[in-house]
Amino acid sequence: MLQPTHYIPTGGGMGVISAVEGHVRALLTGLKYLVTKPRITILYPEQAEELPQGYRGMPVYHKDKCISCSLCANICPANAMKMVKIGKKKYPSINYNRCIFCGFCVDICPAGALEYSPVHDYASYNLEELEFSPEKFAEGPPEPPFKPEILRIETDEEVGLKYVHPKS
Amino acid sequence: MSVSELIRWIVSLLLKPYVFAPIFFPGIATAFILILLLIWLERKIAAKVQLRYGPLYVSKRFGGILQLVADLLRYLFQEPIIPKNADKIVFILGPILLFGTAYIPTALIPVSGSFVPFRSEVSLLVVIALLSISPLFDLVIGWASNNKFSLIGGLREGYIIVSYEIPLFISTIAIAMLYGTLDLVEIAGQNKWGVLLNPIAALVFLIVTYMSTARFPFEIAEAESEIVMGPYTEYSGILYGLTMGASYVKMYVLSLLFTILFLGGWNPVFWPFTLHPILPGLIMLAKALVVMVIGIFLRAVYPRYRIDHALSIGWKLLLTLSFLAVCYSLLITYLQVVVWV
Amino acid sequence: MSERILELYIGPQHPGSGHMRFHIKVDGDIIVEAQPNIGYVHRAVEKIAETKKYIQIIPLVERPSLADTANPNLCYILALEKLLGVEPPERASYLRVLLAEMNRIHSHFYGIGILGIMLGSSTAFMWGFADREILIDLCQLLTGARITYSYIIPGGVRRDMPKSFVERALKALRYIEKRLKDYDNLFIENPVTKARLEGVGVLKKKDAIRLGVVGPNLRASGVRYDVRKNTPYCVYDKLDFDMVVLKEGDSYARLRARVLEIKESIKIIRQILKEIPEGPILAENYYKMIPPKWKDYYSSTGILKFPAIFARLKPSPGEAVARVEGGRGEFFFYVISDGTDKPYRLRMVSPSYRNVILFSHLLKGHRIADIPAIYGSLDYFPPGADR
Repeated sequence: MLQPTHYIPTGGGMGVISAVEGHVRALLTGLKYLVTKPRITILYPEQAEELPQGYRGMPVYHKDKCISCSLCANICPANAMKMVKIGKKKYPSINYNRCIFCGFCVDICPAGALEYSPVHDYASYNLEELEFSPEKFAEGPPEPPFKPEILRIETDEEVGLKYVHPKS
Repeated sequence: MSVSELIRWIVSLLLKPYVFAPIFFPGIATAFILILLLIWLERKIAAKVQLRYGPLYVSKRFGGILQLVADLLRYLFQEPIIPKNADKIVFILGPILLFGTAYIPTALIPVSGSFVPFRSEVSLLVVIALLSISPLFDLVIGWASNNKFSLIGGLREGYIIVSYEIPLFISTIAIAMLYGTLDLVEIAGQNKWGVLLNPIAALVFLIVTYMSTARFPFEIAEAESEIVMGPYTEYSGILYGLTMGASYVKMYVLSLLFTILFLGGWNPVFWPFTLHPILPGLIMLAKALVVMVIGIFLRAVYPRYRIDHALSIGWKLLLTLSFLAVCYSLLITYLQVVVWV
Repeated sequence: MSERILELYIGPQHPGSGHMRFHIKVDGDIIVEAQPNIGYVHRAVEKIAETKKYIQIIPLVERPSLADTANPNLCYILALEKLLGVEPPERASYLRVLLAEMNRIHSHFYGIGILGIMLGSSTAFMWGFADREILIDLCQLLTGARITYSYIIPGGVRRDMPKSFVERALKALRYIEKRLKDYDNLFIENPVTKARLEGVGVLKKKDAIRLGVVGPNLRASGVRYDVRKNTPYCVYDKLDFDMVVLKEGDSYARLRARVLEIKESIKIIRQILKEIPEGPILAENYYKMIPPKWKDYYSSTGILKFPAIFARLKPSPGEAVARVEGGRGEFFFYVISDGTDKPYRLRMVSPSYRNVILFSHLLKGHRIADIPAIYGSLDYFPPGADR
């Protein structure tokens, strides 16, 4: 019968007093958190957090500013943007099945035709709906079917994250 | 006999102690509702310690209390899958008997001085003996599933059963010595708080309660990150629901016993609890609920022990403490100190 | 009866195994032999990198090692900058180290949380992941994303620190220091945790050196080796911090090493926030290629636009090597370029890949219940090893 290689502490491996003290401290900490601390989560989708300026959500496309330089399609790491010929010029179409929200296209556009938006939770029922043609891309990110209550996150020393209503 | 006489005869039969107690209170119906309440409470307490909400959406205005009803309905409609090479009869009967034999001891536990289904002079011994039937079915399930993880889990449960039964017996004898009788009705009728009489026996009994019903830190037979679900791995559907509920029923029975032996039973009885012999049982249920809530609070605090730690606690720590409890009881009886309380 | 040895597959469909499989042979409860079987999440990152341009590889290399994404990003860019021949300005180096250290803290919280859930303490798991949120929120303020930042680019960084950042960061660091005391009371000094982790999976010093282990696993066995101290990169030689070295080498020492490293990282971040100099955040020869109207945009919002050359970077032919200390251990990148806009070869060695050998070395002679204890204490991440 094999013996295990490591020494098995028999409960008295710690000393009885320190073991009892450890148990009591753990139980009291659990009790403190049960009674006094507030919750750190919010009830999404009825509540949502306010995203900071420059959050990398779905890019917004302004077709009138586009100069058809194709830099966005060249730099996209996931090959999500492809240039589509409409009339004489080429415009970018985006495939959100592949987009990784890295923001490279927004950062390289020399004409400012692409901008950040805070929309990050768009979903659809089939894959084809997520491939946006340039016209659909220019309409902007889709509206959500409900409006959550927006809460701003503040870093707090006592509880970590505090959620407040933004004063508008 | 006319119809009204028949109905009156049936109702009086239902209200007799030996029918009412095992079926309604404190028998299977109460145990069932308590399981639903306790599992919800366990998830909510663990969630509050962990800074989150727990089950909330099923009945949002009541804090999600009907979540367990939704889970139970899900289990009822789920297809129970029986593995091809499992021992079929044993596989199906195992959880049913596990759950069913867990609450047999309530046939002897009194809820008040006159409302006891089956009165006996040695009812404490009979309860302890009946408590040891249910854990055997864990071993049976572990073997019947034809799965290596179930086998390991079942064997772990077998080791633990042996290690906690002996301290359980000895500490019960230690406290019964101080009461002077083995009849549960008389023990509770003496109106003494066993926790003050013999605190060592109370501590041993409490730890054994948590060890035998797989409360953290002793959740060893079904250690999820090591052996998937232990003996309950291959179960789905209502059979799985039964296995989940079985350990809570065991904890309920042991908490009722703890209340009678150590927390004074159904005393103090005051108006309006004297209206009917069954009402003091509510006081007893409240005290048992405190013991159970402490047990489920431990989930939020402790990791789980390894099997050799749990066995060394059972054989070294608990056995020594239970012998010490017996010596303490002998000392007190010899010195005849027991006049107060 | 020759059936004494039981063969178990703790495979991918197991709550405690992650994306990998263990073949173990058990005699009763003692493990006789253990072999890890990895490769379930292999996505051929090195081969895909040969088909992508240099700037497109940045999001590619940060995805295999998910909880600790800024450090492989930094390592790749350090190698690429050697080929391109650019030096980032000083403020950019400080910002890079700031992100790397914040990433190290929340990667260690991830490791503590995974160890907690493997031992059975769901509270440690939820707390670890809740405290990551404080830091992820700060990183979101700095970079715009929560986990995959893609923040470090050749020549500097993408954005500047916003104005409210310093105050929020200092509050967050004070909160984390307070929380670490509660972790001590509930999880780390808990007698049950100590009983599970002390003496389990002892890695001796000479074995650690012989097997090539990296990261806090190495330093918890008594070896004084940390890339930030031995071969400093970025501004680590200007910062004052201690190397965390413990001598027991068991799982409990590895857990304590991670907690102590969190405290050292908090010290580093405080120094950075105090000492960071003003200045540009992109190298001069790239900055002058940006059109002037975007320079005004940068001074008002702090978001920098890429110069158009990034879409067709062509470094000079040659090879370059870079090493960085990530949260789990040492990253090593080797880039060979042949003058075109795609690399000829990218070799990426992640710390989890180096630590896989410990499974077959440490598990022998322990019980089945020690598998999660050892697994969680090594902070092994299967997608990082398989890449």
